[in-house]
Amino acid sequence: MRKTMLSSAFIRSKLFWAIVAELLILLVGFILRPDFLSIQLRTLSDGTTVLFGTPVDIFNRASEITIIAMGMTLVIALGGTDISVGALVAVSGAIALKFLRWDVLVYTTPGDYTVKPYYLALLLPLMTCTLMGLFNGVLIGKLKLQPIIATLILMVGGRGIAQIVTNGKQFTTQYTPFKFIGNGSVLGIPVPILITLVVILAVVLFVRRTSFGMFVESVGINPNASRVSGLRSDTIIIIAYVLTGLLSGISGLIYSSRISSNDSNNAGLGYEMDAILAVVIGGTSMTGGKFSLLGTLVGSLIIRTITTLVLYFGVVSEAIMAFKALIIAVVIVLQSEPVRNAIAKQRSKRTALGGEARA
Amino acid sequence: MPEIKTMTITPGRRMRNLLTNPKYLMVYATIGIFLLIYLFGALLYGGKGFTSVRTFMLFFSDNAYIGISAVGMTMVLITGGIDLSVAAVASLTGMIVAYGTTVLNAHPLVCIGAALLVGVGLGALMGACIQYLNVPPFITTLTGMFFARGVCSLISRESISIKHSLIDAMAGFKIYLTWPNAQGEWVKIKPVASIDLNIIAFILMIVLGAIILQKTRFGRNVYAIGGNEQSATLMGLPVARTKVLVYAFNGLCSVLAGISYMLYVKSGWNLSLQGAELDVISACVIGGVMLSGGVGYMIGTLFGVLLKATIPAIITFNGSMNSWWAKIFTSLLLLLFIIIQRAVIASSQRVKKKE
Amino acid sequence: MDEGLTLIHPSQYNRKGDCLQDIILEMKDIEMTFPGVKALGRVDFTLRSGQIHALLGENGAGKSTLIKVLTGVHRMDAGTILFEGTPIRPTSPMDAQKQGISTVYQEVNLCPNLTVAENIFIGRQPMRKGQIDWKTINHRAHELMLRMGMDIDVTLPLAIYPIAIQQMASIARAVDINARILILDEPTSSLDENEVRNLFSVMRELKNQGMGVIFITHFLDQVYAVADQLTVLRNGRLIGEYPVREISKLELVTAMIGKDINEIYNLQKAQPQEDASIVLDAQNIGIPGKVEDISLQVKEGELVGFAGLLGSGRTETAEMLFGVTHAIRGSIAMHGEVLTLKAPLDAIRKKIAFCPEDRKRDGIVADLSVRENIALAVQATRGFLHPLPQKEQQELADKYIQLLSIMTPDADKKVGELSGGNQQKVILARWMATNPDLLILDEPTRGIDVGAKAEIQRLMLEMCKEDRSVIFISSEIDEIIRCSNRIIVMRDLAKAAEVDGSACTQADILSIIANEGTKEEVV
Repeated sequence: MRKTMLSSAFIRSKLFWAIVAELLILLVGFILRPDFLSIQLRTLSDGTTVLFGTPVDIFNRASEITIIAMGMTLVIALGGTDISVGALVAVSGAIALKFLRWDVLVYTTPGDYTVKPYYLALLLPLMTCTLMGLFNGVLIGKLKLQPIIATLILMVGGRGIAQIVTNGKQFTTQYTPFKFIGNGSVLGIPVPILITLVVILAVVLFVRRTSFGMFVESVGINPNASRVSGLRSDTIIIIAYVLTGLLSGISGLIYSSRISSNDSNNAGLGYEMDAILAVVIGGTSMTGGKFSLLGTLVGSLIIRTITTLVLYFGVVSEAIMAFKALIIAVVIVLQSEPVRNAIAKQRSKRTALGGEARA
Repeated sequence: MPEIKTMTITPGRRMRNLLTNPKYLMVYATIGIFLLIYLFGALLYGGKGFTSVRTFMLFFSDNAYIGISAVGMTMVLITGGIDLSVAAVASLTGMIVAYGTTVLNAHPLVCIGAALLVGVGLGALMGACIQYLNVPPFITTLTGMFFARGVCSLISRESISIKHSLIDAMAGFKIYLTWPNAQGEWVKIKPVASIDLNIIAFILMIVLGAIILQKTRFGRNVYAIGGNEQSATLMGLPVARTKVLVYAFNGLCSVLAGISYMLYVKSGWNLSLQGAELDVISACVIGGVMLSGGVGYMIGTLFGVLLKATIPAIITFNGSMNSWWAKIFTSLLLLLFIIIQRAVIASSQRVKKKE
Repeated sequence: MDEGLTLIHPSQYNRKGDCLQDIILEMKDIEMTFPGVKALGRVDFTLRSGQIHALLGENGAGKSTLIKVLTGVHRMDAGTILFEGTPIRPTSPMDAQKQGISTVYQEVNLCPNLTVAENIFIGRQPMRKGQIDWKTINHRAHELMLRMGMDIDVTLPLAIYPIAIQQMASIARAVDINARILILDEPTSSLDENEVRNLFSVMRELKNQGMGVIFITHFLDQVYAVADQLTVLRNGRLIGEYPVREISKLELVTAMIGKDINEIYNLQKAQPQEDASIVLDAQNIGIPGKVEDISLQVKEGELVGFAGLLGSGRTETAEMLFGVTHAIRGSIAMHGEVLTLKAPLDAIRKKIAFCPEDRKRDGIVADLSVRENIALAVQATRGFLHPLPQKEQQELADKYIQLLSIMTPDADKKVGELSGGNQQKVILARWMATNPDLLILDEPTRGIDVGAKAEIQRLMLEMCKEDRSVIFISSEIDEIIRCSNRIIVMRDLAKAAEVDGSACTQADILSIIANEGTKEEVV
C-alpha cells in the first residue's frame, strides 16, 4: 500500500486533500466540543468492556459503506459503476433473516434460536450476492453493456427479490451469534470495525499482492494497450463486480444484525451513492485508472464524520444531507481538473526551480 | 459544366432505411411492446375494467409527474449526460409550496415562483459545473440531489398538507368526458373518466419538448452534442451554452413535475419521490433514448412512460400478486430493452460494414 | 436561392478558361518544437487559388503538424502565415473556419446521428416563423449534393451512408460556408475506386471555382492523377515543392524516404546459422479486403525487414501475426506448430512479441510507472495470481533501463511524463522482457532522435545474435538495408518482392515501391 501512495503524485494530491478535509472536520468538532475526540474504555451492564467515543462510533457506523466501497473502488477504476449494491444489501438481510427468524408458529416466545443451521444463514446470503455480482459482471464484461444501466436492473429488481424471499414480511431474530455481528465486540473493539479491517486487509492483499490491482489500473487507463499487452479485460471486469457483490452481502449481514431484522425497504437505501462518493472523494477518478483503497477509506470516514458531527451538535438530522452536500460539493470542486491545475500553477510559480511540476 | 456522375438512391432503399434505422427501431419496439402488454391486460382483465377510458386516463394522470420530468431528462440524456437530482428537486418544490402556503401564508403562485428560481438555478449551476469544471454529470447531479433533499429536510421534517383554495381548485380541475346517450343527451361516460390538469400538463410538455427538439436550433444542437461533442465544437456550435441550458431546462421540468405530484398528493414531504429519478431514467431508456447520447424521441419517451405504467396496473388488476412483482417485471423489461438496444447497435454496424 | 453555389470569382478566368493563380496562402519559416522533438524546422508552404496542392511525407514528417498549425490546433513557435496577403494567427479550428479555411478530416468530423442535410446546415439553419425551415434545408442540401454528383436522400442519418458520402457532406458544408481553402486530410483511405474518381471530379470542380485545395495523402498514384503541385516534407524539413508534371515517381519516392546523409553507423548485420531452423512460417495469410494473401518465413537469428510506404500493408500483416486481427485465410506456425491466435495473449504465450506503431494508443499505459509498464506483458502471461515479486520487477526494470539507456530519474516515474523516445524504449523493454523467439517491431525508430535510433538498431541485432528473430518494419529504407538479412517489400496491401538484404541498394527498393512504369494512372 505504501507503493500505492508514493508511486502516483497525481493521486497523492487528491488523497492529500481528502485527508486534510477529514482532519479539518474532526478539528472543528474538537474545537466546538473538547470531548469530541475522546476515546475511553467503558464497562457495560453485562460485564463486557467496550471502547467508547465518537471516533469509534464514526468508524463503526461507517462499516457498511466502507466495505462496499472497497469493491466499488475497483469497479470505478475500470471506468464503470455499480448502483445495485444497496439492493444487494437488502437481499442479503432478507435471506439471512429468513433462516434466523423467530418463527411464531414454532416458538411462543422470542429466544436464542435459529430456524436453520447458522452457517447456512451466513453462507447463502453471501453466495446469492456473489452470484448477483456475477450477473452484473457478465452483462458488463462480456456483453459490453453500459454499467449504469446494467446495474440498474438489479437495483430495481433486487428489492423486489428481497421482498419475495420473505414474502413481504419483516422478521426479527434474537439469535445471539447473529446479533453479535452487528452489536458485539472483541477485546473492546466493536465487531463491525473488526470485520471492516479484515475486509480492507483482504482486499488490499488481493489487489496489491497479486497483480490484479495493476491489471485493473492498466485496463482503466488504456484498454487498447492493455489488450495488446495480453490482458483479458472481460475476466478482470467480472472479478471486480463479483467482489463488489460479495462485499455487499457482507455489508447486508452487518446491517440486518444491527437491527436484528430485515427491512427490505430501507436496507441499503442510498448506499450506492455513498459508496461512489467515498471512492471519488478518496481520489479515484470516475473515468477510471489509478485507484487508492486508502483514499476510499478516508472518503468513507469523511462522509460519516460529517453526519456524526452534524448530529452531535444537535443540528437536526434532517440537515445532515444539506451539510453533506455542501462539503462534498467543495471537495469535488477542489478536486476538479481546472481548479487543481490552477493551484498547481500557483505552486510551481512559487518554487523557483524549473523542472517537473509537483503534485 | 464538367461531367458529374450521379449516384441515385432508390425509394426502395429509403423505405428500408426508415424501417431499419436503429433510432426509429427503438421507438417502434417501445410502442409495439406497449401495445402487446396492453393487449395482454385487456384480454385478461378487460372485464374488470382494464380497457375502460378511465383506466387509460389514469395511466396519464397517475404518471404525469414522471412524464413531465422525463421530457427534460430526455434532453439531458440525448446530450450524453444524466441528472440524478430530478426527484429531489420535485420533492423540494412540493415542500416549498406546502411550507409557503401553510406556514408563511404566501400565495401559491409566489411559492411556485420561488421554487422555479431554485430549480432552474440549481440546474444551471450543475450544468456549469459539468461544462466548465469537467466534473462528471453523475457526481455533480448526485451532489445536487443531496443538496435538494437536504434543503427540503431543513424546511420541515414532517409532511405538511396543503389547504389552499387555489391548489384545491387546480387539483380538482376536471374536464369530464361525455358522450351522447340513447336520448341524445351528453352524459358522463361510465366509469367516470376525466381529463385533469396533470394530463393536460403532461401532454403539453411532451408536445413542447418535441417542438424544441425538432424545430429549434437549440434542440438540434442538443442532438449534435450527443452525437459527437468534439465535432459539434469543431463545427462552431455553442456547446457550452447549450449544455448549461439543458440542465437548467431539466430543472424547470423537475419543478413542474413537483407541482404535478403535489397536486396529486396535496402535501409536501421530504421523503417523497425517493428513487423516482431512476423511474424517470428507466422510462426514457424504455422509450428508446440511448444512454450513450445522440438518440431519442419525445414520442418514444411518452410511450416509455405509458409502458412502465401498465405493469403495476396489471398487477393491481390481478389482485393476487404482491406489488413487489411489479419491480421485478419492470427490471426484466429494462433488461429486455437494453439488450434490444445493444443488438440493434451491433447489427447496424454490421450492415454498414457490408456496404 | 442558391447563393452558396455560384462561382466565387467569375473575374478570375482568363481566356483559356484556367483560373488565374493568385497566391492565397503563404506559410513561411514555420517552426514547431514539442518536448524532445523538433516537429517542423523552417518549413514553407505556398498555395494558389484554383490549385490542388498535395502535401506528402511519411508519418512523423511533419505534415499533420503543419496542418494543425494552419488550422489553429497548435500555435507555431516561429514563422508567418499570410492568408490572401494578410497575416493571420488562427487560435482554433473554429477560428480558422471563420477565416475561410475548412478541413475535412479522415474521421469526418460531423455528427453521425443527424441527417446529411442537417450536418451541412447545423448552427446556421434557415428559420421560418421562428421554427427551423426543414423544407428549405433539405432542398438546398439536396442541390448541394447533386452538384457534387450525389443524388441522395439527404433526410437520412449520416451514419447510414458510407464514408465517401459523408465526406461529400463535409465538403458541401465547407463550400456552403464559403471556404477559400479546403484541406482534405487522407480522404481516400476508406474509398473504393469509383468513390475516389468521384471525389477527384469534385475536387477539380472546386479548383475551377477558385478554391485552393490542400490534398494530404500517401497514395502517390492519386497525387499524379489529380494534383497540380506537390510539397514533400521529411523529418520536419521541407524537401521541396514541385509541379507534379515535372517530377517522376522515382524522384518523388526518393525525396520522401531517401537517404539522410547525416547518419553514420557502424553496424554489423545479423548472421544466422547456415542450418538455422525456420521459426515463423506464415502461409497465405490474409484478410479479404484488407491484406492480400502473404507468405513469409523467418529463420532463427534472422532479421527480416519490411519496406514500403504507409498503407502498403506492413502493419496489417504484423497484426495478423500477433493476433490483434484474425487472419481469415492461411496458417501461421511457430517452430512447426500451427497456431490459433484469438488474442494477443495467445501470441505472447507462443513467444511472439509485437511492438506497435502507435505508442500512444496501443503502447504506453501513461499513468503507470516505468517499472509497471515494462513488466506488463510478462505479468499478463503469468496471470494475476502469480505476480512477479517486487524485487524481480525492480531488477527487470533496472536491467532494461540500463540496457536501453532509458532516461528516467527512477523506475517509478509515470511513463506518460517521459519523452517520446524514452517511451518507445520502455515499450521495447516490455516486449524484450517476454523473451520472445520472434519480435515484430513496427516503426520503432519513428519520432526519436538519431542516437536513440542507432541504439535500437544495435539492440535488434543483439537479439539476433542470441538466436532470436526480428521482423523490422520501417519507412526508412537505409535503416532497413543496413540491418536486414532479407527484405520484403510491400505495395498496395500485397507483397511486391522479397530481396536479399546484402545484395540490394536503396535505389532497388525505391524502384520496387515506386513501381515505375508498370502501373496505370487512376483516372
